[in-house]
Amino acid sequence: MRVPLKWKLYTAVGRYLPFLKIKPPEVDRKAAMTLRPGRNSLLTWEAQESGKTLLKVPVNLQSGRVKKRLAQWMKVPNERTVELDEVGAYVWELCDGKHTVEQIVQLTAGAYKMNRREAEVSVTMFLQMLHERNFIGFYKRTAKKARKG
Amino acid sequence: MNQSTELQAGDVGEEEMPSLDTALQTVVGWQGVRCVLPPDWNVAGFSMERESGYLRIDAPSDSSLTVQIRWTDAGAPDVKTPYHVLAKRVRKLLRRPEPKQAQIDLKANLDKFLKEIAKQSKKSKEKLDAHSKPERVEREDGKRRSINFSWSGAGKGQGKIWHCQVCNRVLVAQVVGMGKDQNAIAAIASRLFQSLEDHTEDGFDLWALYDLQVGIPDGFRLESQKLLSGYLHLAFQRGAERIVVDRWGLANITLKKFTVAEWFANHAQVNLRSLQKREETLANGHNITRFSGKLSVLSRLVAIRQARFSLRGVPTRFEGGVWHCPESNKIYSVQIWRQTRAEKIWEEVLSRCVCH
Repeated sequence: MRVPLKWKLYTAVGRYLPFLKIKPPEVDRKAAMTLRPGRNSLLTWEAQESGKTLLKVPVNLQSGRVKKRLAQWMKVPNERTVELDEVGAYVWELCDGKHTVEQIVQLTAGAYKMNRREAEVSVTMFLQMLHERNFIGFYKRTAKKARKG
Repeated sequence: MNQSTELQAGDVGEEEMPSLDTALQTVVGWQGVRCVLPPDWNVAGFSMERESGYLRIDAPSDSSLTVQIRWTDAGAPDVKTPYHVLAKRVRKLLRRPEPKQAQIDLKANLDKFLKEIAKQSKKSKEKLDAHSKPERVEREDGKRRSINFSWSGAGKGQGKIWHCQVCNRVLVAQVVGMGKDQNAIAAIASRLFQSLEDHTEDGFDLWALYDLQVGIPDGFRLESQKLLSGYLHLAFQRGAERIVVDRWGLANITLKKFTVAEWFANHAQVNLRSLQKREETLANGHNITRFSGKLSVLSRLVAIRQARFSLRGVPTRFEGGVWHCPESNKIYSVQIWRQTRAEKIWEEVLSRCVCH
């Protein structure tokens, strides 16, 4: 996915040096609802009978020899698990790069009989949280392109 | 000071005309003001004050239409001095009528309101073009005087200002949108003004938002609220008497771990052990687990403290109940701290609580 230069600048410099006033690009709300969240391919997950889902997140031990040795010595596991509750697991399943945020909101509101606004707030916050942890990314492509791909 | 809450300040993009073919479904009620709007319109901002406040209701995300309602108590003095507070109480104590007011100048109020809009338009370098119709008397009893108005500048708006003699409120309601939404604005405005009310006829204020609807006696004032995704909490107070209404979403998930009664025991604001428990059936067919009984001395003291040491209407009894509504997948609970003589309040509130 092509990352805008403004965003690259913000993540590399702007957020550490606020006096430079490099702000992240503003995303229009309507445009944000058309993004398609897709899962990080490095993650694996396991659905449980209780409805919850366990995400297995690989821990990056490759950066630096000292860190690698220390991790071996301390017996740090090479993956960590994150537990998603039932609603979280439902949304996670829908993060397949095909459904838009708007569709996920509508499906979640329908499945759990939530008010549209309540569902929108919950789902967008949850997706934002997953994105901050690099569990998902957002595709910005039209339905036509998605079908071709 | 007005305590205000913005639920979500989201940008709204280009709008399309909202679907008006379907029946008007969203009922909104706040501080005595109530209206009916198309489906999926939701409260986006409100004030906590009853005397003067505002309410903002936004269209679904694909539209930029918004309904703004503002009200002020026409009888309230501009500057509240101890004299005004004391005089009002003495009049009430001696059962003397309120002094007659000079007739409210609606036109002046409207001009003041339009001036504010003109300021906003000036910021976005647009010239305000406002039109108003002549003042007219509405309703059979003639107790409402109103002026319709419309404006265009930074956006477009169509509204109405009125003064109601019954509740002595001056209310301004308008539908605002972008320039190209003129037809949608007109359609929503006409339906809004048909349904908009500023006071209740039966003595129960309708509190309705996010699919929750409950009628609370109009003497009770909103004390606190929590409007979270999946959890709504409204607490009302009249002297030391209290009514608390809670609603939890995702009931199917909650009820995998707890029974309804267990869930209520964890969240009730009194100890339920000493209270009488019984199962009843509501008018809508749901089974309600009801707890009632005398309040302990400690609970009464807590109630007085919560009422800022007001000894008016010290509650002696507690009524509480919880039920699961499978149709809406929600758990509802109502708790009432009441005086012994206010026997019917439980039934009255419960009969006005709409869960689906």
